[in-house]
Amino acid sequence: MKHKLRWVLLCCLVLLIAAPVAAQEKVKVTIFVGLGTGTDPDQIPKQEALAEKFNASHDSIEIEFLIVPVEESRTRLLAMLAGGNAPQLVGPNGISTIAQFFDSWADITPFLEAEQFDTTDFYAPSLELNSYPEMNTGLPLGLFPSFVLYNIDMFDASGVDYPPSDYADTSWTMDELRNRAMLLTLDANGYDATMPEFDAENIVQWGFSDAWSDMRGVLTRWGAPGIGRPTSDDFKTATANSEEWIYGLQWFSDGMWVDHFIPNGEQQTGIESTGAAPLDSGQIAMFYTHTWYLGEALNDLPFEVGIAPAPFNQKGERIARIHADNFTIPETATNKEEAWEVMKWLTSPEQIVDVCLIYGCVPARASVADDFRAALQERFPDLDLNVAFEAINYLDAPNHESWVPEWGRVNDTLNYAYGLIASGENTDAKAVLDETNASLQQILDEYWAKQP
Amino acid sequence: MRILNTESWTLAKRESATGYLFVVPWLIGFILLTLGPMLASLYFSFTEYNVISAPKWIGLNNYTRLFQDPLFWQSLKVTLYFAALSLPSGLILSFMLAVLLNQDVPGVRIWRTIYFLPSILSSVSVTLLWVILFNPQIGVVNQLLERIGIKGPGWLADPNWALPSLVIMGLWGIGQNMIIYLAGLQSVPRDLYDAAKVDGAASWQRFRFITIPMMSPVIFYNLVLGLIATFSYFAQAYIASGAVNSEVGGPVRSTLFYNLYLYQNAFRYNEMGYASAMAWVLFIIILLLTALVFRSSSLWVYYEGELRAKS
Repeated sequence: MKHKLRWVLLCCLVLLIAAPVAAQEKVKVTIFVGLGTGTDPDQIPKQEALAEKFNASHDSIEIEFLIVPVEESRTRLLAMLAGGNAPQLVGPNGISTIAQFFDSWADITPFLEAEQFDTTDFYAPSLELNSYPEMNTGLPLGLFPSFVLYNIDMFDASGVDYPPSDYADTSWTMDELRNRAMLLTLDANGYDATMPEFDAENIVQWGFSDAWSDMRGVLTRWGAPGIGRPTSDDFKTATANSEEWIYGLQWFSDGMWVDHFIPNGEQQTGIESTGAAPLDSGQIAMFYTHTWYLGEALNDLPFEVGIAPAPFNQKGERIARIHADNFTIPETATNKEEAWEVMKWLTSPEQIVDVCLIYGCVPARASVADDFRAALQERFPDLDLNVAFEAINYLDAPNHESWVPEWGRVNDTLNYAYGLIASGENTDAKAVLDETNASLQQILDEYWAKQP
Repeated sequence: MRILNTESWTLAKRESATGYLFVVPWLIGFILLTLGPMLASLYFSFTEYNVISAPKWIGLNNYTRLFQDPLFWQSLKVTLYFAALSLPSGLILSFMLAVLLNQDVPGVRIWRTIYFLPSILSSVSVTLLWVILFNPQIGVVNQLLERIGIKGPGWLADPNWALPSLVIMGLWGIGQNMIIYLAGLQSVPRDLYDAAKVDGAASWQRFRFITIPMMSPVIFYNLVLGLIATFSYFAQAYIASGAVNSEVGGPVRSTLFYNLYLYQNAFRYNEMGYASAMAWVLFIIILLLTALVFRSSSLWVYYEGELRAKS
């Protein structure tokens, strides 16, 4: 008996010693959140719940979400990278974030090849958005297709036909959008923008807005050779003053300053000053946006909302710009293999719907499309979500957020050009884009001159 | 065992040692957190450094590139323009306010508190508040102007008005300077005014020939600090332009301050070497301007003690 008791005691002792050691052996994977979505107060507990779920089901890896406010996320990540304290995963990252930190990411190709990882379930475009000639930055998590959201009450009040929701309807063009938008643009006296009595100095309702996009996003729809990219395929020649971009920018310029159905920069400031998103402000009839708007802004509106596809452009093409998210592993991170395991888990068919419901993206896996659609439809029962899903087939490639040399300088130069139009400093799109193109060429030349 | 035999030290030596002992924590902090990073940034300014890869020595390239960069000149122009507007207006208004609040009137303490209060509020919240006040459509400023028949400008959303808007915003925080002036005003000897009164000096003459000379060291102090603060201007412009125009330094680069462009280079373009060069050029500019102000002080700053020593 004593002998047995001794053995039991010994076993207990071993367990007592071994248990904490085993617990300590869990490898920590820190997920840095803040460069894109994921920092809204209602998203934080959901991510914490996700971490608990992972940690409860894994013995060797422990995950922790490091949620950093957007405004300090860039400096914090740079400090962590520079200080040799890189997080194991960063995300959700948009295409633009990947481009801005392009040299920081690890290539996941070796992991994919070692496991012969099956990527066939992912939508092909989502794989392309993460793949560059020299690296694959991460498994696709989600897509954010784009469309027009419109205020049904405003259409009813003005007696204007709703935009069609059928992708086969070729009458839905940018010109048709302008026609309807002008009828929906009203001054304080109730005159619309087509009437001679219309007072452009006193507008209270605008027909159309694409305010939450940058210059490349605004111009990607017009069918330029580079679509959303302002350079040639080899990135050596600036192509910002293409015929299509000039046409598109002039369309926006005239929309602000001649036809008045798009709020100019100053008016946009007024609209957003209340803290409301453009459509939510009740001053915009049609707003071009992405699925992330559904989660972030489309809440408890006092009016009905409809959804319509991206219109056809002047060349008869439909280009619906897209955003995409993934998680990436920094090149200098420790525990890359564990990070890869977490990346796989987050994008697995079992988890991806929950993860995408947190971040508002359409899951990049085709096999879960129905599950996600059902969950989303429950939240937005009156929206025809087919319009959103169908938009994936018309995405912009090259994407308007994709990498170009000196990504930040190039985009800032383009956004400055858009600012000239929006502020009315220069409303001639050709003049603006010719000058911009010269600046971009200089940036590209300097970049290539530095390359070995 | 005694490590140090201090018994043979003179009193002065012992006092010095004690003094140094007290400042050691600060010295350590200064060396590690200020001098160290400064020297590191000096080294980085001669390198191409994107944080992710190791720095690569490129000699003076960052400095030569800087002078060919049109945005460097634009940012310098914006900063100088801002300094030219905000520095004199801030100094004059805060001085006038201090003179007013130095009068013996009922409730003067409450007024002093009211004017000083904004200067202790967080610059972030104050800026956000002004962003709303300056809103072209719903802002109080334009609504008040409309009542007197003036159509207000776009303020922060208008390239021609964005910078003056920031100057006006800054004037709201002149309480700090005002308090320093107030302390100075209260230390001006009363007998000087009494003597001047006996000599028949009018109030303007007393102000011109007593108050201003006696206050010149305080004006000088506020000028030097204001100069440095103006050239270090960042947070308000960063918040205001980001909140209103979604374009840092916007609209159309009208508020692209030197420090904003420096920040863009460091944290948006990941060009730490170039940003470090910018920081050192800024340091030299501030140093030269401050030296110039110090040099000019012998012409217009009146130190009573100095004159006594000379006589």
